[in-house]
Amino acid sequence: MYELKAVDKKFPGVHALKAVDFQVKRGEIVGLVGENGAGKSTLMKVIYGAYQPDGGTITIDGKTVRFQNPRQAMEKGIGMVFQEQSLISNLTVMENIFLGYEAQFVRLGVINWKAMAEAARKQLAKVKLDIDPATVTASLSFAQRQLVELAKVLTLEERVDGDLVILLDEPTSVLAEDEVKMLFRIVRDLTARASFIFVSHRMDEVMELSDRIYVMKDGAVVDVVNRGGATVEQIQHKMVGRNVDREYYREQRQKPYDDSRQLVKLEDVGLPGRISDISLTLHPGEVLCLVGTEGSGREAILRTIYGMRTPVTGHVTMKGARIERFTPQAAVAKGVGYVPRERKVEGIVAGMNVYENMTLSQMGHFSNAGVLRVGEERKLARDWIGKLSIKAHSEYADCGNLSGGNQQKVVLAKWRSGGSDIMLLDHPTRGLDIGAKEDVYEMIRDMCDDGVGVILVADTLEEAIGLSHTIIVLKDGRIQKRFDCEPGKKPSLYDLLHAMI
Amino acid sequence: MDIQRLKPHFPWITLLVLVIFVGLNDPNFLKPANLLSLAGDIVPLFIMALGLTFAIYIGGIDLSAQSMANMITVVASVYLASLGIWVALLCVAIGFALGMLSGFITTRLFVPSFISTLAVGGLCFSMAQWLSGNRALNMDAAERDALFGWMIGRTGIIPNELFLAVALLAICLFIERRTTLGRALKAVGAGELAAAASGVNVARFKMLAFAISGALAAVAGLLFAVKLSGGAPTIANGFLLPAIVAVLVGGTPLTGGVGGVLNTAIGTLIVAVIRASMLYFGVEATQQQMVFGLVLIAAIALTMDRSKLRTVK
Amino acid sequence: MTRFLTREAAIRWAPLLVLIALVILFTAINPDFFAQRNFARIAIAAAPALMVAIGVTFIIVMGSIDLSMEGAVSLTAVLFCFAFLWLGGTLAAGGWLAIPLALIVGGLIGLINGLVHVKLRIPSFMASLAMGFVGTGAAVLITGGDIVRIEDDTFRALLTWRIAGFPLMVYVVVILAFLAWFIQNHTTLGRNFYAVGGGEELAHASGLNVRRVRITGFVLAGVFYAIAGMLQVAKLGQAESVTGANFMFISITSVVVGGVALWGGIGGVWNTVVGVLIVNVINNGMVVIGLPDYVQDGMLGLLVILAVVLSTDRRNISFVK
Repeated sequence: MYELKAVDKKFPGVHALKAVDFQVKRGEIVGLVGENGAGKSTLMKVIYGAYQPDGGTITIDGKTVRFQNPRQAMEKGIGMVFQEQSLISNLTVMENIFLGYEAQFVRLGVINWKAMAEAARKQLAKVKLDIDPATVTASLSFAQRQLVELAKVLTLEERVDGDLVILLDEPTSVLAEDEVKMLFRIVRDLTARASFIFVSHRMDEVMELSDRIYVMKDGAVVDVVNRGGATVEQIQHKMVGRNVDREYYREQRQKPYDDSRQLVKLEDVGLPGRISDISLTLHPGEVLCLVGTEGSGREAILRTIYGMRTPVTGHVTMKGARIERFTPQAAVAKGVGYVPRERKVEGIVAGMNVYENMTLSQMGHFSNAGVLRVGEERKLARDWIGKLSIKAHSEYADCGNLSGGNQQKVVLAKWRSGGSDIMLLDHPTRGLDIGAKEDVYEMIRDMCDDGVGVILVADTLEEAIGLSHTIIVLKDGRIQKRFDCEPGKKPSLYDLLHAMI
Repeated sequence: MDIQRLKPHFPWITLLVLVIFVGLNDPNFLKPANLLSLAGDIVPLFIMALGLTFAIYIGGIDLSAQSMANMITVVASVYLASLGIWVALLCVAIGFALGMLSGFITTRLFVPSFISTLAVGGLCFSMAQWLSGNRALNMDAAERDALFGWMIGRTGIIPNELFLAVALLAICLFIERRTTLGRALKAVGAGELAAAASGVNVARFKMLAFAISGALAAVAGLLFAVKLSGGAPTIANGFLLPAIVAVLVGGTPLTGGVGGVLNTAIGTLIVAVIRASMLYFGVEATQQQMVFGLVLIAAIALTMDRSKLRTVK
Repeated sequence: MTRFLTREAAIRWAPLLVLIALVILFTAINPDFFAQRNFARIAIAAAPALMVAIGVTFIIVMGSIDLSMEGAVSLTAVLFCFAFLWLGGTLAAGGWLAIPLALIVGGLIGLINGLVHVKLRIPSFMASLAMGFVGTGAAVLITGGDIVRIEDDTFRALLTWRIAGFPLMVYVVVILAFLAWFIQNHTTLGRNFYAVGGGEELAHASGLNVRRVRITGFVLAGVFYAIAGMLQVAKLGQAESVTGANFMFISITSVVVGGVALWGGIGGVWNTVVGVLIVNVINNGMVVIGLPDYVQDGMLGLLVILAVVLSTDRRNISFVK
């Protein structure tokens, strides 16, 4: 019923969509996969009305439509569920649900809060969420927000005659396993009310949920796969244009670490309300993976080691010396490097170029009495652009304009070029496409060979298992279990999940 | 022609167009002597704007600049006799210290710079009133000429203030482009969280930015005092907003991280030309402020590079 | 749960606690402070300031800023006076018509402000600052630098007619503050300010017409500035091009002291009421306890910093600009 025919979209210098045909049938769940830059997000924006196509037609039940903005698309039954934080956190749940459509509850200019709460409860019931509609959104969990998001889109049901198409953009990225299952159950139940377009980086989830999968590459649909019509590897092959083989995580390059030296040692470290009694040791050449759900204390441990938090109990020892003052400056001086999860916010400075970003953490090495030696900075940047094959036109390229993978390489280069030998990686592959992920894995192995110790919070459990020498499972801020992960003797997914829950 | 690539150059193109426009109307305007004296007159404002640039460059603002300059005119007038040439050092030191205080309140106490600098400005005003006994003070003319006369004379047709302005601009440009301080300030303005996560001591650099702003406001105050041969607690009033305008018109947005001191030089000149052009076009005194506001909107609409702003607040 | 409650409550009530502490402090130093006459004095001083501050609160909640208040207040005050005199010089004789006229002018100033900001994509700081120049400039132009007086007793009753010791204008302001609160909490527009301030892009993606909300916000602010302009006239009995002077910094200071975040989405009319009272209590208190003139500006600065420090929730801020 909803169909795109030969839709084209061009931006200056980029042909983002090339004659894309796309179809959604009533009550169907359609998966959409592709690497970053394959045109998924452009396609979605065309579908929900944020972009207008340059060519081709969009039809609903055979009638041609054209949307000037997302609101017009909504009026035709096209709704969008954005990634995690797309609810306005200072508003209440019901205000978020009816944002932009308050008029139905307004009499003589006054909002009838009771009526709105009543209507909101009805929407929340559709997604089986039992919360007070007057709750401020900021106090909800990620999973609850995702459901509110869905409830919000489902208000279209009452507003629009005809069928609904709902886009789900990476809805699972911040959810725990059981929450994902619950979400999928709800989505399947809702197919009686709407069709869905499901976009995700997690191939297994797309395979599990979708009736059909569109595979995109370089702005074109390269294949449409029916449920059970292909394996994960086959689809990945189509996305990347080559095989993702069993050496994905570079396991063959995993060598035993040097347990005669200790880089970092935590003894009974605690931060009230976040972590307690954390003891662990990191050795040169070791990849130590912290596994747990959101809020299990993974990030708090990283931030404590990096000096952004001061532990209330216990102590931290780095390279034999007890840490007394917890500041990032002190940690950096000790050789700690931190690759934060929010790459665009904390990783790189958009608006600064490659060499400025790379030397930001080590300006002292490139200056005399506060005066920078720009020539040396540029040389360093050129070296690393070559070494990591960073795709940037030169060391003067604005890091804000690089792709995610190249931004991540700049962040890693920043620390590696400064000689950091204790690397803290928080979701280093989040949002990267497969090629860029492999580059990051390769770099992690390189670092280990150089005697660097890595503490990793992985994006997926498979990644954690594949990369690590040691896995520490956390739950509610405490260490549950420790696994040794020599190649061939790695724990299974089930082992980890069992310890997590 | 790609308009996006031209955008960063809009401020000086605007300046050029304005100068030519006024020049066509009255060729006298374009005489070097006239242009130079026009530039010379604007120097105190420029120095204040130069300092403000640092505060705005990191995404903050310094509303104490005007009160600081006021206070410094009083300080300079009071202590010229006893300290001689060293009074200059005292003035800059006071400016630096009070700027540091603003920075401390902003970074350590989490008070927005809008409020903290306003409060420090109040402090300056109090000190100025107390020191001066709320009167206008005069400097000893002979002593002023002997010690600071070099600031305000002329060399050929070039006003000496311009040398001071160019020297300060060069120093600031060097700080901005070639020092760790400048680099850190850029990082703080463009992405404070990323700078912090790279181990940059953000708080220290922010305090330094406010300190530089304070020190330059003090230099502006000193120049005022020398020019007017005296000081009073309200003598520089009316300079704060034009100074902010000069920074913004030059192309350093309030969000920080873009622009810089060179932009401010151009911005100040734009403001100066707009002001001066009203004389040449015979705008009456009562209309001048209104016209200034209108031209300002046009100037900002033309000069500001908004292509990188996702949302305009 | 108790931890959550106490923390939320502490943040919410901190400005009010600061206000109470200040009142206690000044009363302790000089008991004359705690007198009905003195409270009336504070209320009169605070009345126009509160209207300006409420106007700008809406804008700040949206995450924008409005610096046009000085020009807007001057211009509306001056135009109000001229219209009032032209229409007969007394309320009864048709002068009342000047009131809606002034409100319309205020709204128009806000409208232009909003249009320049939104349509030309000029940051509100600059757009409104320039509009402020234009407003003051227009006031200079109209008055030619003179003072316009109004001597109608009926209109001046706003100041002179006292109920329970407080002049009429205080009650007017209280009613208008309630009206503003009502707009904020019970109308679509008011709630949309919070949506824009909490997440402009998200609000836009939800189908909210953000630009219209912005422009309407500036219009509303302009109307409140016009009210402030008329109250200034009632208070002083005259208008000139500097009637609105000094409102800019003091009103924004008040708003922030009351706990409204400059980055938008947090706080509201009640915060502003408390903030304006804090600033005016400090101002008045310093006179009552007999601090020398020259100390007062510095002291106000220090106390404002103290008030902001005490009333901000430091745990939720990673940095401030």
